[in-house]
Amino acid sequence: MNCYLGIDIGSISTKGVIVNDQDEIISSCYISTEGSPIEATKRLLNKLEIKDDYIIKGIGTTGSARKIIGLMLDANVVKNEITAHAIGTIHLYPNIKTILEIGGQDSKIIIIRNGIVTDYAMNTLCAAGTGSFLSSQAKRLDINVEDFGNIALKSKTPAKIAARCTVFAESDLVHKAQIGYSKEDIVAGLCKSVVLNYLNNVCKGKKLEEPIIFQGGVSKNKGVHKYFEEILGKEVIVHPNGHLMGAYGIALLAKKNKSNKEYSHKLLDIKFITLGTECHGCSNNCELIKIYKDNELVDTWGSKCGKF
Amino acid sequence: MGDYIIPSKYLLKHLINYEIIEPPKITSKTKEIGEKYSPEFVCTPFKYTLGTMIEALELGANTLIQFGGGCRYGYYHELQRQIINDLGYQCEVINLISGGKLINLKSLLKKFHIKKLKGLYYTFITIKMIKYMDKIDDYIRLNACYEKEVGSMKKIKEQMLKAFSETKGYFDLIKKYYYFKRKLKKVPKVNKEVMKIGLIGELYTLMEPMANYHIEDELIKMGCRVKRFTNVTYLLFQKKKAVKKYLKNFFIKYRMGSDALDNIHHTKYLCEHDYDGIIHIKSSFCTPEVTAIPIIDKVAKEYNVPIIFFSMNLNTSETGIKTRLEAFYDMLEMRKKR
Amino acid sequence: MSRITIGIPKALPYYYLNDFWESFFSNLDVDLVYSCDTNNEIIERGERYANDEMCLSLKVYLGHIDYLKDKCDYLLIPRIEDYGNRNQMCTNFLALYDLVNNLFDVHILNYNISSKEDELKSLIKMGEEIDISEEDIKKAYKKSIKLKTDSKKSDQDNLLIVAHPYVVYDESIGKPIINMLNKYPYNIIYSDCFDAEKCNINGSILSPNLYWKYPKENIGSILMTPNLKGIIFLSSFPCALDSLVNEYIIRKIDKPYLNIIIDNIDSLTGIETRIESFMDIVTQN
Repeated sequence: MNCYLGIDIGSISTKGVIVNDQDEIISSCYISTEGSPIEATKRLLNKLEIKDDYIIKGIGTTGSARKIIGLMLDANVVKNEITAHAIGTIHLYPNIKTILEIGGQDSKIIIIRNGIVTDYAMNTLCAAGTGSFLSSQAKRLDINVEDFGNIALKSKTPAKIAARCTVFAESDLVHKAQIGYSKEDIVAGLCKSVVLNYLNNVCKGKKLEEPIIFQGGVSKNKGVHKYFEEILGKEVIVHPNGHLMGAYGIALLAKKNKSNKEYSHKLLDIKFITLGTECHGCSNNCELIKIYKDNELVDTWGSKCGKF
Repeated sequence: MGDYIIPSKYLLKHLINYEIIEPPKITSKTKEIGEKYSPEFVCTPFKYTLGTMIEALELGANTLIQFGGGCRYGYYHELQRQIINDLGYQCEVINLISGGKLINLKSLLKKFHIKKLKGLYYTFITIKMIKYMDKIDDYIRLNACYEKEVGSMKKIKEQMLKAFSETKGYFDLIKKYYYFKRKLKKVPKVNKEVMKIGLIGELYTLMEPMANYHIEDELIKMGCRVKRFTNVTYLLFQKKKAVKKYLKNFFIKYRMGSDALDNIHHTKYLCEHDYDGIIHIKSSFCTPEVTAIPIIDKVAKEYNVPIIFFSMNLNTSETGIKTRLEAFYDMLEMRKKR
Repeated sequence: MSRITIGIPKALPYYYLNDFWESFFSNLDVDLVYSCDTNNEIIERGERYANDEMCLSLKVYLGHIDYLKDKCDYLLIPRIEDYGNRNQMCTNFLALYDLVNNLFDVHILNYNISSKEDELKSLIKMGEEIDISEEDIKKAYKKSIKLKTDSKKSDQDNLLIVAHPYVVYDESIGKPIINMLNKYPYNIIYSDCFDAEKCNINGSILSPNLYWKYPKENIGSILMTPNLKGIIFLSSFPCALDSLVNEYIIRKIDKPYLNIIIDNIDSLTGIETRIESFMDIVTQN
């Protein structure tokens, strides 16, 4: 059976899916990146069930480490995660008009009309209001980030928290706790401020038409989902596989761009090493990444003068 | 700022009897120094220039020359001098433009013992050199996407810059310019469909490739024909006249400070000239641009041309920019196919 | 025909020009309507229109516009460029009119304050918009007074607040902080309570290259305050001018100071602690 592999290597988590010729997900996996995309990919491939009768006809990579993993696996498609997400989602929901997405470092909105991306925008300033912001606040409050949503749902009067800038938000949080707000109210306040922040900054000037879908790591947070619906006054869909949408999209692209090539199942039997160095060849002092595949230098990244 | 160091250095070399220290290129170290000693919420060019200044002082400079500008740029040097002095460096900071006006040139000439005629002659050559450089850059931005061998035009430009820095006189400069211009036109090209992109925004971030994370090179690599209005020629010689024309624009009544009005008008121009997309870049907290952005966005919406905004600071992630650019490009492609 | 109502948002230029407006329009056949004091709702309204990097005061301004937009026939929005080359304004004031005109669907009464244009002529042009004759405008202009605030001199120990009036007098931004300060036995002086011309000159002494009118006058007040025990710089995040000027002045003075930058009125709680510890320093000195 022909199959296609899609891998989405993000800053926080790494996602993988296997898709068959009918565009169905036949296996999927979600792990934490733990700062090392190469190691994460290896673990991911071990966990994905690539059965012996699968013929891998295409591999696609997306996410922030798409290029290096693309090189490592010799992927036939390497695409940015925004496009991958849009393609995956449009395939599942042909009528979708708005994709809201909040991930680990980025938040973005994608506007779709007639199955085509017509507009998109991303956060400009900093990580405030994204997944990593929520995780660090959860740690500060000594709460598991997975429980965040359920705790938020308990609150009736969410605290007002300024989440525009991480620095301001943190100090605000501490003070709200000191003046006696309950944990539920603070957590709910955080969720609400993430939504307000997102709507005020990322979605400025955009028309949010239904159907609307909410994706990215933060979409698992029920509190944020609730406030999206409450503030927009519209139904917001969250797909249980929302976090896999990027991997799914890139797998579909790999299928679309397939060649006659067949990938070996022993994807991991290559030695793949990267070395970071600083080049002093000129005054640019570029930070270079040298990439070795089977002990052979295959590429050098980061050069500004084009020497490599 | 970018390649403009070459004409600036040329001018100073011929006019004053000082040893000229070329400021080192911006590196991660420059950013570190700049970030460390700057107030947190100033706009980003302050941090870059402060970092560069301190690095130049480390190399032994004792006089720093800076071109100020219309908005906050004109006041930079006052605070920067204080910061530098507080750090224990002894030096003089000369700022050429303050409050939108050139400072007293006469005293400057006297200070450096420059004869008027000589000063005029070399200033004239320098201006010509800048104009030539800008013309070549414009050509490359518009045509590099067609080149057969990637980077060949840039190579020629590097050679030209080197030749320019050794210019012997006015006629020598003209000769060199036409030589390299011909050479550029002969670069083998392939005919293909390209994406037409307009690049607008705040001047420092537009003109300093380190501050915009080489956005132009990235766009050209993707196969974009890039139109940029802002360069030194424009700012010094064309802007004043142009602004009067821009005020007849439907969207605006007044000048809005710095280049805000220009960018709004350029947005309209790009929309009316069938550009596929517009990219607006600025440094974080650039106040004139911040107030222009809602209007720019409105203009682009009215013409239904996609626009993307980048707010650059020292910690902007380069991969983040690339991802956004790629996604923007993909979107334009999808729209085009439709 | 009913009288025309002109809406005045209580933000930004209001704090500089309202005395003039009040007396000018009282001589004309119009009614003035003001927005309410800044509150949470105003700020939320403003944030809906504002860009995330705009300063808090500009966001507040847009909130006031939104509040007023269907409560009057016209909104009064001047555009202020400069009062001479060495007395320029923050670019927000240059952009106010065009910004509001593009963001909102409202009727605007606009005139221009600039060293390049005569104010009266600009007002006459504005009068045409609401069918008020040139003579009436001229008469009203002549009768109107431009109030000058006098300094409240005190021999007590003084604390000086260096801030733009639109920050310090704003009900939600500056007021809560003033209330915190009022608990202490010091006389509080505001930087705009001195003779503007003298402040201007003193400002130039402190920072010779400064070419913005109001920041110059703000810092000039430092030299004019007797018995100065401490200075509080108050600005709205991320004020373009204060980010440079205040940083510069802080390096120049040897008085105790506190630099407060307000990002969001929800986060005022943390400031109280900083004020407390600052007051400890002031008292010890």
